[in-house]
Amino acid sequence: MRRTDRYRYPIIMTLLVLMQFTVRSRLGGDRVAPDFLLLALLIYTIRAEPGRSAAAGFIVGLLRDALTPASFGAGALAHTIVGFMSSWSKAVFFAEHVFVRACVFFAGTWIRNLILLLVSGRLQSTQVAWELLVWSPLQGLSTALVGVVVLWFFRGWLSPPRRRIA
Amino acid sequence: MAIGTDRYASRADTLLFIACVGLSIAALSLPDEWRDPLAQGLRQSVLAPFLFLQRQTELLAAARARYDAVVAQRDSVALAATFLPELRSENARLRSLLGLSSHLGSGYVPAEILHQPEPTNPLSFVVSAGKREGVRPLSAVVSPEGLVGLVATVDEHTSVVLSWAHPEFRASAIASDGSVVGIAAPHGADGPRVWLLELQGVLYRQQVQAGTVIVTSGLGGVFPRGIPIGVVVGPAGEEKGWGRTYLVRPVVQPAALSHVMILTSPRAAGSDLRNAFTVPTDSALPSEAPPR
Repeated sequence: MRRTDRYRYPIIMTLLVLMQFTVRSRLGGDRVAPDFLLLALLIYTIRAEPGRSAAAGFIVGLLRDALTPASFGAGALAHTIVGFMSSWSKAVFFAEHVFVRACVFFAGTWIRNLILLLVSGRLQSTQVAWELLVWSPLQGLSTALVGVVVLWFFRGWLSPPRRRIA
Repeated sequence: MAIGTDRYASRADTLLFIACVGLSIAALSLPDEWRDPLAQGLRQSVLAPFLFLQRQTELLAAARARYDAVVAQRDSVALAATFLPELRSENARLRSLLGLSSHLGSGYVPAEILHQPEPTNPLSFVVSAGKREGVRPLSAVVSPEGLVGLVATVDEHTSVVLSWAHPEFRASAIASDGSVVGIAAPHGADGPRVWLLELQGVLYRQQVQAGTVIVTSGLGGVFPRGIPIGVVVGPAGEEKGWGRTYLVRPVVQPAALSHVMILTSPRAAGSDLRNAFTVPTDSALPSEAPPR
């Protein structure tokens, strides 16, 4: 392992966070454009343990709640659950295949929006149906697509660390 | 062999997860007087550099768009005959913007909307103008077409805006001819009439024709008089036989906006901003009879 390897992973995470606040608004509508912050969380959960993933999800969600105070706390809950479930499902399915990870990105986005809508209780049933059946799948698809590109492009940098066998 | 949870998540992981869920639920149940300072603190500390970055990106994009527009206009001079329709529509748009600016005078601050990907973004959003730019809580937020919402909380360089679609939004409203007074509130009902407003509390003996333009009345001192809110679509129902409620189609859709204007200086008593906005017309409305 080279000395620079330890910096590569945080660099990609930082890059995704910066993309959320810079280029995201240029990639289409708010409800369709990829969610880079959630993608960073989901990529983090590939390597992290479920507890840390839940904590990371809570922090990310709480920060996002500060930007959309209409439902303060809902984002924290949604991201906590998604972070924990993503990390846990990785351990259960033991999936290294890029398609399975794309499915995790898609499902993570959709479930995040589902929990957010249910917990916030701000939108009515027809609006919820539109969000869950149209906009959330589209956002999930774009997020999964970007996730696959990131994983493929940085595959050497993002692969999980190998455990030493005693 | 059965797959058990404990094999994939240690007890510490589970406890950490439960703690995070508990904290999230606690955040959900925070009262407004605790929630707003907490959110404001996060925006002013951890999120400040990111919001600054987003604000600068939006400014850069706007500058780029303006530059492109200028270049396009210059090029269009040579091709005026080819692009005459586009020039005309762009001209109309610029005229409406300039007309609004000249009528409003100096008491407003332009701001970019910093959109977020959450589904609740159209209900409340962050804009790139704050205390430094002269924005105060409860300032009216408008676009060239009409009312967008009001400022809820103000940070140093950003503000949180509650749009008319937020369930807690209310505005004292009046028909443009002054015949009917009521309260404009989000309709928020199920079915195809979502994202509509309703005019509540209209006296039972008063009838409002479809197509009537509703503007702010200026009562209460939050919104100046004369900001267009929407156009009456038809009756929404009756309130215990003593009042009527009408559906109003808003003149502004918050999700489609990229820039807004925040009215900063208090207007003189009795001032009317009606002439500063584009008058909404609604020729597509059916000429249905008012409720009896």
